[in-house]
Amino acid sequence: MRPKLQLPAPFARQVRTARELVEERRRAPEETRFETATEGFDRLLEGGLERGSMIELIGRRSSGRFSLVLTALAATTAAGEAAALVDLGDALDPQAAAAAGVDLERLLWARPRHMKEVLASAEVILASGMPLLVIDLGMPPVPGGRGVEASWLRLARSARSQRAALLISSPYRVSGTSAQAVLEMRGARAAWAGRGGAPRLLTGVAAELELVKSRKAQHQGAVESLSWRMAADLRQVGDVEPADLEVRGGAIVDFRERAIA
Amino acid sequence: MPSLDPVPRIACLMVPLFPLAARLRSEPELAQEALAVLAGSGPAARVVAATRLARRAGIRPGFTLSQARVRLPKLIARPRDAECERAAREALLDVAESFSPRVEDGDEGLAYLDACGLERHYPGESPDEELGRALMLASEQRAGLPIRVGIAASKLAARVAAGQPHSPTLVPAGGEARFLAPLPLSRLTPQAKTLATLTSWGIHSLGELADLPKDEVASRLGPMGQDLHAMARGVDPEPLMPRHPPPAFAEGMELEWPLVNLEPFVFVARGALERITLRMQSQGLACERLGLSLELEPDGHHERSITLPAPTRDVKTLLTLVRLDLEAHPPGAPILAFTLNAHPDKPREAQLSLFGPAALSPDKLATTVARLFSMLGKGRVGSPRTVDAHRPERFALEPYAPPPPPKERPEARLGRGLLTVRVLRPPLEIEVITDRRGAPGSGGNGHGDHGGSSGEGSYVEATEVAEPVTEYASARAEERPISFKTLIGEEESRKPRIEGRVRVASGPWGLEEDWWSPDRLERDYWDVELTSGGLYRIYRDRGNGDWFVDGVYD
Repeated sequence: MRPKLQLPAPFARQVRTARELVEERRRAPEETRFETATEGFDRLLEGGLERGSMIELIGRRSSGRFSLVLTALAATTAAGEAAALVDLGDALDPQAAAAAGVDLERLLWARPRHMKEVLASAEVILASGMPLLVIDLGMPPVPGGRGVEASWLRLARSARSQRAALLISSPYRVSGTSAQAVLEMRGARAAWAGRGGAPRLLTGVAAELELVKSRKAQHQGAVESLSWRMAADLRQVGDVEPADLEVRGGAIVDFRERAIA
Repeated sequence: MPSLDPVPRIACLMVPLFPLAARLRSEPELAQEALAVLAGSGPAARVVAATRLARRAGIRPGFTLSQARVRLPKLIARPRDAECERAAREALLDVAESFSPRVEDGDEGLAYLDACGLERHYPGESPDEELGRALMLASEQRAGLPIRVGIAASKLAARVAAGQPHSPTLVPAGGEARFLAPLPLSRLTPQAKTLATLTSWGIHSLGELADLPKDEVASRLGPMGQDLHAMARGVDPEPLMPRHPPPAFAEGMELEWPLVNLEPFVFVARGALERITLRMQSQGLACERLGLSLELEPDGHHERSITLPAPTRDVKTLLTLVRLDLEAHPPGAPILAFTLNAHPDKPREAQLSLFGPAALSPDKLATTVARLFSMLGKGRVGSPRTVDAHRPERFALEPYAPPPPPKERPEARLGRGLLTVRVLRPPLEIEVITDRRGAPGSGGNGHGDHGGSSGEGSYVEATEVAEPVTEYASARAEERPISFKTLIGEEESRKPRIEGRVRVASGPWGLEEDWWSPDRLERDYWDVELTSGGLYRIYRDRGNGDWFVDGVYD
């Protein structure tokens, strides 16, 4: 008699044999994308960062580009995957990354000084089989310029062969024709709470994300609204924390007036 | 009743012409040349071993270099290299230890291993024959040393068997005395006086010695005679004495002439590192710390130690680290000899998940981290950690060792959507124009909420404002920033330039740390938005009144 059948019925329903698990796994669709847990971004990319592809994200200062990068890293590491950040601007604040939900133990952080080191580091990391690599080029001026296009092509090919998702976050386009999709963050506007003579409080940033280029032509030009709210432990006034604020419809709309006066 | 003790089986690994083999291991390109290895110095130097090409020309051990060059003018001569021979000896022992944990270090080019129980790994018709062939192959491939193998129940019989031209030579269990019987007494290397005594008795072979009564030999020749008699019967006077493996893998070389430049040194170091990694691979180990010991002209010494972020066997990575270290700390004199000491550690291991996310290969990951370390330098690669402190610029870096992935993939969750700060390291000094109109409620220019929002929150659309205005409100009367610009010299062209009029300022947010120490920190932080766009985190140092920008909200 099979052991599963000897179990009481409530337990037997929860127990699966190894054969059933393997069969379940075989039937499940293959994981081909990393969801970034940012709805608008995932919608534009039809479900997230595709494995084996290179995506370029461009945006000016304070557009929320780095927040989007950390959200993607947070979603990936929270799912138990390893991820790497090649951080040219040396801009990562581990405190903020942890607040954003990044599992720091699963994050490999490389801090190159110029573009040549960025490209070399990225190539080495991709060759290790890292499933998600984010290259953040910081703010302009980018040390070392845009890099050679052939290097970006090589990285794109490496990502494809290793089935890794490669996200390039840059203040301007650098990868030439190599990227599968290019998204631009624009129209960023800061949200301040408080009015009149009351203290001001930075509550967040809202911006629009446009799919500038895509090899799948049907989504090109699509726009999504994104918003980022201030982390609770960064600033607080009285007994109100920015975390109490809510994000609705892609914008920060709710501020509890009882707090700041 | 049969004995439960297994019959001992000892394999002897012998490197013929050991000084030559050790030299060729370090300089394999000389294997096809006419090469002689000489012991001694100056005119007294004598040939101890020569390659086949040289031997064909008539060069024999004991020739002086002049005699050898008369027969072969193009003969390449090399002195005996103690470092090469020591490394070759260790490499031979490493090969033996990859087969059995019980290995005895014999003389030069000799190693004994306890082969009991190894027959289970070679289930063919002749397990000893297969073991012998496997040992020869492993030594050739992993240590770069051609060896001969003899397998018998005693060390002496195994050593004699290894000296036979056919390899591997097997002595059947119990047949040691018969195998040794025809050999001359000199094979036991007795003292000259004892040998003369035995010869005067008419004893010339091991078999004749073994046939003598044991007690009579012992009473006449003492304990040494007793040992010789036992050895002649194929019984070792001492059992196999297993050695303790050394804590590090060392390879090195005495150089033919002093090296001044880094490139030729890196070239010879590559060979040594390749040999080390092969030895470590045979024992399933990887290098976690690399020691470099240089002998300098005329009598100097230079020691370096390179700690790796993760154990690795990648030669390219190790070589890059050696190069970078020597570039940063040049020895300061020509190099006469070098030794590389690789301190081993277990490579990282991980069990792969069947249903969860795929784990990275620990070996590949270790190599990747070490390569990044060699490329970017210390403190520029790792896993970030938070520090229990208030200073925003503080962080810690740990070696990257991700935990194993969960057994099943967790459900995806929506992101927290938090605005984060792009940190500027180090903070950029700024020149700030401030205003002291800071009493609560007196801020601004009367425009109030410039965002035009009728709701409780206020969006400030920078593009919609015709004239730059400053909004501020502070709980305390403070110096409020009105405009600022970074103080960047012309030589600091890589640093971002930030300049503009402040549109909205929020603060000050006091930050105090270590107030009890001279290194105390007292800052007033402001969140500011410039009219030209950009949200910045700036602060004023209360100690000296200087202003800095240390982050960009992005």
